[in-house]
Amino acid sequence: MLKPYACVACEKVILAKDNVASLISLFNKIVLIVPTGAEIPKNAVSPYQWAVFSIWDTEPGDELKHYVLCTQILYPDGTQFAEIVKQNIVIEPAKRAQMVAQFIGFPVGQLGDYTVLTWIELEGHKVFGPIDFKLGVELLRQEPSPAKVAN
Amino acid sequence: MNHQCPVCGFAFLPYPPADYHICPCCSTEFENDDVDYSHHQLREAWIAGGARWFFGQPPAHWNPWLQLIKAGYGAEMPWFSRATHLYVEAYATVVAAPTVRFIENGIFAETAA
Repeated sequence: MLKPYACVACEKVILAKDNVASLISLFNKIVLIVPTGAEIPKNAVSPYQWAVFSIWDTEPGDELKHYVLCTQILYPDGTQFAEIVKQNIVIEPAKRAQMVAQFIGFPVGQLGDYTVLTWIELEGHKVFGPIDFKLGVELLRQEPSPAKVAN
Repeated sequence: MNHQCPVCGFAFLPYPPADYHICPCCSTEFENDDVDYSHHQLREAWIAGGARWFFGQPPAHWNPWLQLIKAGYGAEMPWFSRATHLYVEAYATVVAAPTVRFIENGIFAETAA
């Protein structure tokens, strides 16, 4: 059975040839800076690429099973953002499994803590989890900078 | 085979965007609406109207902004065309991993137990 070893959010994951992962810009909060008066729709998404990186401890025999990693994002009000990401987990014997769930946008329409939920399914049934962590979204209003006046 | 709407980026048109077919997402009637207006202009109008789903019920968890980003039109969202910036605070959230550390250059490494 797979067991969680680590689970983090970051901007990018680079996997080296030896499978060592470099995690670029770990984060737990996004601050959105918008001009005063700009309206942000409730369902707004920022074009920000990010990823959920996780490592799973394995045990003998896991490499023969078809585990699926599921990743779900919840708004602060508990509703679901986008679709649940489902990925087959490739497991090599006697090695930890590393997984990267990629996202091309981050929801910013609600302020507060978003929840990232991750769990494991086997043959359509949840067999572990979910584990969860929070990612905060804050909004900063900023006056537009005054236009430069040519001499 | 699915086709992509060149206006809103909806990726599941059952027909090519031509021959008076109508996008169920943004309501563009191809070879009619896009005769007098460019796809960019139609997209601007759709966004200005709230980027709402046009016909029937949208797909589950459909999000117009995510759809625009996936289609490569993320820069055209109004609140981002007005110099919006993002930054992050870099702290790891580690779940059940007492022997994990993140060294300064971002390389993931394992410490001794």
